[in-house]
Amino acid sequence: MLNLPSQISEAADYVRQRWTKTPRVGIILGTGLGNLADHINSELRLDYRAIPHFPQSTALGHKGQLVCGHLSGVPVVTMEGRFHLYEGYSARQITLPVRVMNELGIELIIISNASGGLNPNFNSGDVMVIEDHVNLMNDNPLIGINNDQLGPRFPDMSSPYDPQLVELALSIARRENFMAHPGVYVGLNGPNYETRAEYRFLRGIGDAVGMSTVPEVIVAAHTGLRVLALSTVTNMCYPDAPEKTEGNDIVAIASAVEPRLRSIVSGVLARIDS
Amino acid sequence: MLELYNQIGAAASKITAQWKHTPDVGIILGTGLGGLVDQIEVEAAVDYEDIPHFPRSTAVSHRGRLVCGQLCGLRVIAMEGRVHHYEGYALKQITLPVRVMKHLGAKLLIVSNAVGGMNPYYRPGDIMLIEDHINLMMDNPLIGINDDRLGPRFPDMSQPYSWELIDVALAVARRENVVAHKGVLVAVTGPNLETRAEYRFLKMIGADVVGMSTVPEVIVAAHCDLPTIGFSIITDMCLPDALKPANVNEIVATANEAEPRLRTLVTGVLEHVAQNG
Repeated sequence: MLNLPSQISEAADYVRQRWTKTPRVGIILGTGLGNLADHINSELRLDYRAIPHFPQSTALGHKGQLVCGHLSGVPVVTMEGRFHLYEGYSARQITLPVRVMNELGIELIIISNASGGLNPNFNSGDVMVIEDHVNLMNDNPLIGINNDQLGPRFPDMSSPYDPQLVELALSIARRENFMAHPGVYVGLNGPNYETRAEYRFLRGIGDAVGMSTVPEVIVAAHTGLRVLALSTVTNMCYPDAPEKTEGNDIVAIASAVEPRLRSIVSGVLARIDS
Repeated sequence: MLELYNQIGAAASKITAQWKHTPDVGIILGTGLGGLVDQIEVEAAVDYEDIPHFPRSTAVSHRGRLVCGQLCGLRVIAMEGRVHHYEGYALKQITLPVRVMKHLGAKLLIVSNAVGGMNPYYRPGDIMLIEDHINLMMDNPLIGINDDRLGPRFPDMSQPYSWELIDVALAVARRENVVAHKGVLVAVTGPNLETRAEYRFLKMIGADVVGMSTVPEVIVAAHCDLPTIGFSIITDMCLPDALKPANVNEIVATANEAEPRLRTLVTGVLEHVAQNG
């Protein structure tokens, strides 16, 4: 991890030379939620391939652009498309953009993803506000010699998701009249979906399962950022009544739920100073 | 994963140069089950080391050749000896033979392995039809840029093992008076066997048996849409409160003793497939 500071500053400088504002919020848009970027009053769009040290997005439903601009009047930097371990990247590569956004000056990171519902009280199309996670990804972005400039050797994980923001997100969902649950997200490598036996196992340890977010949140905790993470439950994983899971259906449901997520994001941004 | 496509083609051409037929079935023979090969009417045998990109088998009791021929009226291509993650191979390498079998035209994959039994109703020498699995191998053969020519980015795993053929195999077992169960396999990397605490954990998460193979091959078979049936021989019991030190020679001996029964089930399934397509 000792070469990270130079990579972070090279990537951040590249952005700063083209966009001089200081973002207050970083946003990572997951599966099917890319449309949220269309609501940003965008001042600069950068292809990931142009940014030094950034990996390239290869995943279904993911573009590969960093969008700088304003959303609800707040300066934001948004990743339209993210990286996953199943694409063959290490957890450290995946999370470099979080460190770059931190370097650019954000105070808060908002992360979204699509997940499979394990909790039988969820329904597909519900939003889960991630309250905690279980890392079963068999990788950790902090492995290696720690760079104390970036964060502590042993970061605390007692509350990686800001409890006040969880409450705020749930209250916005009530006001906007859609189902949102607080819950535990289990992160797996993928890329295959889970077997029924795996769902039975995971049901005992979490409420929703997905293939992202956990590495970014670990790095956010390492750097001391506040985190809000929103998961769209795109399908239900019933081990005793399994249905075939298909990537394109998941993208379609995530897209349909996107306005709900957007209302939470804009509601949180509107109250960022309160 | 983009290099795989050409590797599959190169390996397949080497095999077709020595054997011109289209296989109906691919078979992977695990620990102590190599004897099934004696029943194959061999038409060609190719050493792994002569096939481009094939890994070499280093495990105890595993030979390393691909046997092509006829069994129960079907063309089969059988791996005599498999390679394991614990030998140091990447899952992508381990599973290349499955992709080659699919490429050659196989419509069914039969896998077998030796496992430790955690379900207390199982006995050493029993056979379990793998009904489902849990992947705890900390790796996945599909990681990397997906090659859409080979299969989808996110393969479904709601039924990786053919329920129809599981029922066929269980019917054969009843007819032939062979003890056979249906259960969940959990795969770990090995090579060490598990601690008592690990057995308790694996049992708690819903597994009936534990092994060090099969799951990567089955994930790849699901990826390339190759129907699969999996057989486990319970070679020793892993009961955490009465755990005995594992003895590899005993494990191999139990597998060998159970092998005729497994052979009965495999040939019964093959006969069903030959008759019903």
